[in-house]
Amino acid sequence: MQKKLTLVNQIDEICKLQEFVEEICEQAGFDMSVTMSLNLALEEAVTNVIDYAYPEGTEGNVDIVGEISGKQLKFIISDTGQPFDPTAQATADITLGVEERPIGGLGIFLVRQIMDNVIYQRQNGVNKLTLIKNI
Amino acid sequence: MNITIREEGNCIIVKFEGRLDTVAAEKAKKELDPLYNNTGHDVTIDCEQLEYISSSGLRILLSIRKAAAISGNKVTILNISSDIEKVFAMTGFDTLFDIQKK
Repeated sequence: MQKKLTLVNQIDEICKLQEFVEEICEQAGFDMSVTMSLNLALEEAVTNVIDYAYPEGTEGNVDIVGEISGKQLKFIISDTGQPFDPTAQATADITLGVEERPIGGLGIFLVRQIMDNVIYQRQNGVNKLTLIKNI
Repeated sequence: MNITIREEGNCIIVKFEGRLDTVAAEKAKKELDPLYNNTGHDVTIDCEQLEYISSSGLRILLSIRKAAAISGNKVTILNISSDIEKVFAMTGFDTLFDIQKK
């Protein structure tokens, strides 16, 4: 089973993600709680592309493919923006106190916490981020 | 997303209703602007009707918490659901706030 969604790089496009993710999660048999966490992971990963992949003022697409194969649910997020490997980002230090805690840097951290595996590939000018959740 | 802010004595009570996602957080950030410079109020954030939060929502909560720390005030989070509590635990936010579960 496979489903595809294409968004343009505008932040209000994020609203279209929820229904897309929920349909696939239902097929995979995930409960509401896991579905919500996957919604969060997808929102963070796609927001990152919308905010940073393309130079400001230029239009670009984000393709999201959701597929269930065997015991895995996979989301493949691709864009043709500048090369960026989110998996190479430093992990957030969640033990810091209020004063030391940086305001940002939690988006990709959450993606990695929620998913079982996150793989980045750059192929033929395309950033491809694969998020895997075991069923 | 609906946000109501009211003052009760020395306390500011913020109530979130709905989904605090990336899009809603843009708007929420402006509405909550007065709380980023805490002028000596304790803050209570009522999450009874909060269905979802993304990192952009967490950023807002952390900004409020940081401002309160500077003025020596408390931030209490009320009625948090178990799903949102998981997000707090994943990010270590459970150690930054006084949290009272649903």
